[in-house]
Formats: sequence, structure tokens, C-alpha cells
Amino acid sequence: MSSAQIEIQLIASLVAIACAIPGTFLVLRKMALISDAISHSILPGLVLGFFITQDLSSPWLIVMAALSGVVTVILVEYIQKTNLVKEDTAIGLVFPTMFSIGVILIAKNANDVHLDIDVVLLGELAFTPFDRMMVGDVDLGPKSLWVIGIILSSTIGLLIAFFKELKISTFDKGLATTLGFSPAIIHYGLMSVASVTTVGAFDAVGAILVVALMIAPAATAYLLTTDLKKMLGLAMIFGVFSAIVGYWLAHYLDASISGSMTTILGLLFLLVYLIAPGKGLIAVLYRNKQQRIEVSLLTFLLHLNNHSEIEERHINHLNEHINWRKVRAKFVVDLALKNNMVTIDEDIISLTEKGRIFTEKAINYIISNDPTEIEAIKEDFFLFRG
Amino acid sequence: MCGYFREITSINLKFKHIDILKYIELVFTDYTLRTITLGTAILGAICGMLGSFAVLKKQSLLGDAISHAALPGIAIAFLITGTKDSNVLLIGALVSGLIGAFWIRGITRNTHLKSDTALGLILSTFFGFGMLLLTYIQKLPDANQSGLDKFLFGQAATLLVSDVWFMAIITFVCIIVLLLFWKEFKLLLFDPDFTKTLGFNTKFLDILITSFIVLAIVMGLQTVGVVLMSALLLAPAAAARQWTNSLRVMVMLAAMFGSLSGVLGTAISSSQANLSTGPVIVLIAGVFVLISFIFSPSRGLLFKQLRLIQNRKDLELHKTLTFMYDIAKNHHNKSHPHTIKILNNFQGFTKKTLQQLEHKNYITVEGQQWAMTEKGYEFAENMYNQQMVETHE
Amino acid sequence: MKNPNQKLAVAVDDLTVAYNYKPVLWDIDLAIPEGVLMAIVGPNGAGKSTLIKAILGILDPIAGSVQIYGKPYDKQRKLVAYVPQKGSVDWDFPTTAVDVVTMGTYGSLGWIKRPGRKEKKAALEALEKVGMLAFKDRQISQLSGGQQQRVFLARALVQDASIYFMDEPFQGVDATTEIAIINILKELRKKGKTVIVVHHDLQTVPEYFDWVTFLNVKKIATGPVKDIFNDDNLTKTYGINYKVSVQK
Repeated sequence: MSSAQIEIQLIASLVAIACAIPGTFLVLRKMALISDAISHSILPGLVLGFFITQDLSSPWLIVMAALSGVVTVILVEYIQKTNLVKEDTAIGLVFPTMFSIGVILIAKNANDVHLDIDVVLLGELAFTPFDRMMVGDVDLGPKSLWVIGIILSSTIGLLIAFFKELKISTFDKGLATTLGFSPAIIHYGLMSVASVTTVGAFDAVGAILVVALMIAPAATAYLLTTDLKKMLGLAMIFGVFSAIVGYWLAHYLDASISGSMTTILGLLFLLVYLIAPGKGLIAVLYRNKQQRIEVSLLTFLLHLNNHSEIEERHINHLNEHINWRKVRAKFVVDLALKNNMVTIDEDIISLTEKGRIFTEKAINYIISNDPTEIEAIKEDFFLFRG
Repeated sequence: MCGYFREITSINLKFKHIDILKYIELVFTDYTLRTITLGTAILGAICGMLGSFAVLKKQSLLGDAISHAALPGIAIAFLITGTKDSNVLLIGALVSGLIGAFWIRGITRNTHLKSDTALGLILSTFFGFGMLLLTYIQKLPDANQSGLDKFLFGQAATLLVSDVWFMAIITFVCIIVLLLFWKEFKLLLFDPDFTKTLGFNTKFLDILITSFIVLAIVMGLQTVGVVLMSALLLAPAAAARQWTNSLRVMVMLAAMFGSLSGVLGTAISSSQANLSTGPVIVLIAGVFVLISFIFSPSRGLLFKQLRLIQNRKDLELHKTLTFMYDIAKNHHNKSHPHTIKILNNFQGFTKKTLQQLEHKNYITVEGQQWAMTEKGYEFAENMYNQQMVETHE
Repeated sequence: MKNPNQKLAVAVDDLTVAYNYKPVLWDIDLAIPEGVLMAIVGPNGAGKSTLIKAILGILDPIAGSVQIYGKPYDKQRKLVAYVPQKGSVDWDFPTTAVDVVTMGTYGSLGWIKRPGRKEKKAALEALEKVGMLAFKDRQISQLSGGQQQRVFLARALVQDASIYFMDEPFQGVDATTEIAIINILKELRKKGKTVIVVHHDLQTVPEYFDWVTFLNVKKIATGPVKDIFNDDNLTKTYGINYKVSVQK
């Protein structure tokens, strides 16, 4: 591995970590699409900033671009407040318009601005090692490494300093207010961090792929844990994993690094989406099937419990009366028999003592919604898991 | 194909220094220009119409996800067939757009991830995958790289007559379907539960309208591009909504705004070198939205603000009048004169309000004294009762 | 059921409904005689709206059946009118009061056919009946809560049904409108129609209704208000010693 390759992977990993932190909170706060809005709308800020500073590496450029990100958030929120359009429409209107302005500005000034549309969409990770940070004659490494490094360390600093506030305001806005943390300050603080990070990452991975780096690792982690710290950790690991594997995939295909990082993120999500224990598709489908059986069984038991009349309990009656279209009646009856919940005597089904007690317990739980009762039931039955 | 491109560049050069009248003349005489103008007009119209439904279905951002998710489909279709025939590529776009849409649905239905996360995730990862494929294709030794990246930001100039015919046919079918099921669509969007109780098959209606929306998105990819396509769907509809409270008028207005954005956007971008059509069309649609948000008479921000100021003024006036009424009602003679001094310890009162009240004939002022008129007393009394009712509600 | 000659308007048999396989209503049996004005009461999450939605086929039950005048709902749609809960419609939709009321005629029109002069006239009459004719061209979000509810009542009246289902019609409504609505419902009952209302305010049950169903996931009790509206059933439904000062 050449030193340039190592530097690219290092930068990509740092970008991934820097994105994963605000991304986790955006996903938890149901504001994932705000990152989409920010990443698109910093473009006009970047271009205007360049017109003013005439220097693509000026730190003011980052400030200007980040500012335009925050302005977009405020604009979206303002439009939402006017009730002129529905909430999601507000986002959908603002960012394409901002992005269009940026693209047109670039196209019209193609000769002056050292930015082209490809860079906007894909970033130029592959070229980052060539832009060095020089003090006198001393080479301090790639400039991007410094930029993203500074952004990342301040993000981590803020995360540690305000972890408690962030956590409370994310999970319980009301409590945060009563405890004296202003959710508004946290909100705009988070938006600012997201904007700055987006600007820093923009250079490396491009506008739309920043969104992937923010949302995908966090969403994948969210399928595996609901613990905030674990989720942050997992999101960072997934980000770094995609950065390194993505780099080598791109190397092998001779294609865009950021495109392949995103592809890896997508595949990672797909994998977890399918097999995550408890929350993955396979687990969910399995549980749904189980629950369907459980509900049918309980419905059946309850029916027996409610009716003492013999004709309501005749085995042939099940089909026409309870109208089992979706569940095979026989399967349910067999299950009840196997669990010693019912007995069949000359085609008349009766509840056993065990079945009766169980049914009453279950209904008590459902009506009272009392979590202590569920514990007892869990033992002898598999209903209500999750 | 190559000759075709050359023709367009020559038009681009021609346009550099011509005026509007000449351009309009060219639209009618120049074959290529006529084709692309007609194409964008039709595209804008169908997007405006269907966009109205997308916005009212609260699926504004689903369009964005579908259009981004279409990119890998275009690349894969090219890799498989090796052709740049836009119909083949758009079939690829349709398939991968639909896969993206269904996956979003699956994520929100089967996991605890919310729809915003699902949308952002699918649109960005599919797009990233698409970009990976595009950059891969560009570096293939035998591939002619130009042509596929027009799908990023759109190039109206690459529209062929056959593309326009296709759009026209789809639009025609779409209008027929909208007219046939107008009542049902309206009911479904407004009150889905009620629609179901009346016996209409809501699933069928939903699939029908969603299919047309997806079709419109895919049709627009060549002209507007995957990145900005959703805006052409939303913006005309959002603008149209501000001017009317009738669904029929809204859909027609949106179609008009969409067409205008398409035609104007094409005109501007094709008369300038180095400018994709997508961003220009979207920007013009954005201008329509801005104008509508501000200047719409019933919902617009400007008139709302003006009404607010007017209300505040009226409120001040009414406050003073109520205060006067409280004083006057204690006297047998309603028009008994009082000194202006009594009002001094009342804050809402200024010289100007007094003048206005006199102007409206609610009071008379003589020297340092004022007196309520019959009309003023009645008005105040009415206001007083009204307030009672309102607070009661 | 006490009077065998009285026809059953709605018969619910062993109805079980679940959302995502989480049961919300369990094994409900219900026989609603024709011509009653019935309240469905129960705590939040008891499945009151779910019951109505399952009867009307908006939700698919996992077991059980519903009959309207002895036949499945599919065949008897035209006998049924429905006023949904306030939150279920899009208030910013570009539509006016008279437009909304006209929607009540869509069911009898069937697919594709458009409302004509006859339907418009019926809509205006219904608006007049609920005292909303003056507001016919207002966009629906520009109406007050009470006015909105009147418009939806008018839409149900236009359906000209035999059975009316209403999901919390008094929610967010001013006192005048509440009285106006209940008077119209009582008038419907007088004409022999059956009216079924999801209701929250226990205080007004004896005053407004003559029939009541207590519901909490399963059916607790159903019958005439004067017979079964008592502290015992209230406690069974709402849990811990629920007492309501019933004005007799």
C-alpha cells in the first residue's frame, strides 16, 4: 500500500466517523431528510463563498457553506410553519431549488470556479493526497485530513460535553425543557454540527453521498441496538468498514470511491435488514407468523370461554361461525390440544382448567395493560414478545 | 446519433445572441427546437397534474427517492444491452425505481425505522450505487461515455421525436384515467376510510395513481435528471395549491405552471452553453412557488401580513371603543359628553384612534370632550356580545 | 333481543381484530336492534373506533363476521352511513363544504358516474338541515370545529342510510353544535333509523342515548341505558372503582 492509499483510507474513515455522529441523532430525531436538505443546499453557499474569498481552501468557505446549511434548515422550518404546504413538501421544495442555484452558478462560471458537477456529486477523495498542508517546507500531510480531523475532534468534543443534553432532548423533549435545557439550542447546535460536517465531507464524497454516510450507518446500527452509546459506536464501525472496503472495491473496479463506499453501506444495511436478530425482516416475518397463530389460538380459547352453549363449541361450528378464513382451524385446535388447553368429547370442545385460567390471565393483561402480569404469562406462553 | 448532436450544438451557437421574438419564431420553424419545446411542455403538464396528487397524498419525498433510485437501473440496463436507446434505459430506471419504492415500504412496515430514514437511506445508497456503475462504465475501454450522464441533470436537447410521442401518449392515457376516476381519486385522497366504506376498491385506485406518478418521474429523467426530478413534480403543485380551493382548478393550474417551467427552462438552457436543463427548469418552477407563496390573495404571506396589521389596528380601535362603551353605558343618555382626559389612563388610546373613531361616526369630538353616537353605541354593544359568544365557544 | 319482533340492524359475531397481530378487539358479540340511538363507551385504546371500522370493512378482522340486516356488509353498503373521526381526513385538502357533502352521494353513484344536479340539490338540502348553507363555499379548514362536524354530519345525511355510524362526533365541538347534532340524531331515531356513536363523555350518556355498549378489548355489556348504565359496568369497563354521578 502506498502512502497515498493509506491517506485516502484514513480520510475516508474520518469522514465516515464524523458523519456517523450527527447522523445517529438525526435518525433518532426523525430528521434524517434534513441531512439531505443540508447537503444539497450548501452548494450555493460554497460557490458564493468562493466568489467572495476567491480561495477554495479558505476556512471562510466552510463557514459560509455551513451557514447556508443552517439557513436552509430555518427556511424549511419557516415554510412548514406557514402551513402553505405539507411538511415534507417544504423540504422537497427548498433543497432542489438551492441545489439548482448552485449547479447553475458553477456552470455559468465554469472557467473561474475550480469545481465541476462531477465533484459536486462524487467529491474527489482520490485527489485529496495531492493537496498538501505545507508550513514553510515541512509537509504536514493532506489538507483534507486536517480539515476533517479538526471537524471530527470538535464534534467529538461537543458530543462528550453535551451528551446528556443531547440524549434527553432526543428522547424526551418535554423533560428536557423542564430540566432547563433548551431543545431549541440543542436543535440548532446539532444542525450547525451537521452543516459543518457536511461541508467538510462534501469535498471528499460529494453532496448526495454525504447523506448516505449520515443515515445508512445510523439506520443499520438502529436495527441492532436501541442503546444510544452502542448505536453511536456501531454506526462509526459501519462507517469505517464501508470506507475501507469501499476503497478497495473502487480500486478493483477502477470506479468512484464514494460511490463504492455508499454501495457497501447499502449492502451492509441490506444484510442487517434481512438477518438482524429480533428486528430484521426474517425475524419479523417469523414473529408475525407466530403471533398470528398465538392470536388465533387465544381467540379460539376466548370463544370457548365466552360460550357455554354446546352448539357454539361444536368442532364443525368453528369453520362457519368464527369464520376462520386466514387460519386453518385444525392447526389451532391441535395446538390447543397439545398444550392441554382443551379437551374434545364427541366433537364438542371444552376448555380445561389450565385453558380457562390461562385465558382469563391473558384477557386481564390485555385489558389492564399491566406489565407485571405479562411476566407471569410469558412463562407459560409465547405471546406478547417484543 | 452523432450528426444529431452536432445539429444541437450548432443551434446552441446560433442562440447565443438572439432575441425572444426570434426564439419564438424558431420554436415554430426549427424542427429540433419544436420537438424539445413540445416535449418539455408535455412533461411539465403531466408532472404538474400528477404532482398535485403526490403532494396531496403526502408522498412528496417518495418521488425524490424513486428518481434517485432509478439511476442504477439506467446503468445496469446499459451494461446488459449496451444500447443508449432511451426507452430501454428508462425501463431499467422504472424497475430500479420501483425496487427502491417497495424497499422503502418494506423498511417502514417491517422495522421501527421511520419513513424519513427509509427515504434518505434508499435514495442515497441507490444513487451511490448508480454513481459507482456510471464511473465504472466510463472507464470501460469500449464504451462511449457520453450520453449516460445526461440522466444526472437532464438534457432536453437529446429528446427525440419518438420520445415526445411516447410522452404525449402516456399523458393522453393519464388524462383519460384521471377524468374517468376523478371522483374516486378525489375521495381517496381526502378521506380514504370513507372511500372504503362506500365500496370503492382503494387498493386499485392507489396502485393506479402511484403507477402514473412513477411513470411521470421516469419519463422526466432524460429531461430533468434524477437529482432534481422530484422538484418538477412538487413545485408546480405547491404553487397551484396557493391560488385555489378547488382540486380541479389546482390540477389545471399545476399543469400550466409545469408546462411553463418546462418551456421557459428549455429556452434558457438551450440558449446558453454548458447548462443542463434540469436545474433551470427547477429554478423557474421555484420562482412560481415563491411568487405564489407571497402573492396569493387568500393564502399568500404578503396579504396575510397585511391582514394581520389591519386586524391589530382594528383591535386597538375596538379596545378604545369598548372602554368608551363601558363609561357611556353607565349614563342614561348614551351621548352624554365626557372629557378626553378620562381616556388618558387607558393605554390603547391615541389621538389618531380618536380621529378614526370620529371618522367612522362612532363618536363625536368637540373641543376637549367626546360623546358616543347612537351608531357607535350599537356597534360596541354588538362587539361586546360577540366576544361573549366567542369566549363561550 | 328482549323483543323478538324487533329486527336486528347490526349483528356482530365473535369478531376479533388485530393490528399487526396485536389483538385490539377480542371475540365481540353484539346485537344492535333497529331504531336505537346507541353509544359505544370505553377507555382510550379500548377498541371503540376499531369496532366501527371492522363493522364497516375498513379493517379486516382475523375472525368473526358482521351482518347488516341479515346480510354481509358488502351487499348492504347503501344502508350504511359513516362519519369518520376528525383526524382521519386531510383538512387542508382543496375542497369546499358543499363539495364534501356531495361526496356522500358517491356511494350510490358507483364507479365513474359523476354527481349531477340531483346530487347537488341533495347536498344543499343537507347543508341547510345542519344550518351550514351560508358556509357552503368555504374551504373546510376555514370552518370552526363545530362547523366541520356539521358538514360531515350533512355528508352522512346525504347518504340517506338506515344505519349511521359516527366516530366521536362531539370531539372539539362547541355546546351549540353538540345540541344541534344530538337533535338531528334523535330525529333520525324517530324515523326508525339506527344510530351508533363512539362517545367519550359519560355524563351525557343517559341524556342523549337509549342504548349503550361498554367496551374494553372485549365486550363488557350491551343493552338499554336505563338497565345497564350503572357503576358496576362502569367499573368493569374503566377499572378501579369508577363512579359517575349519573343524573337521572
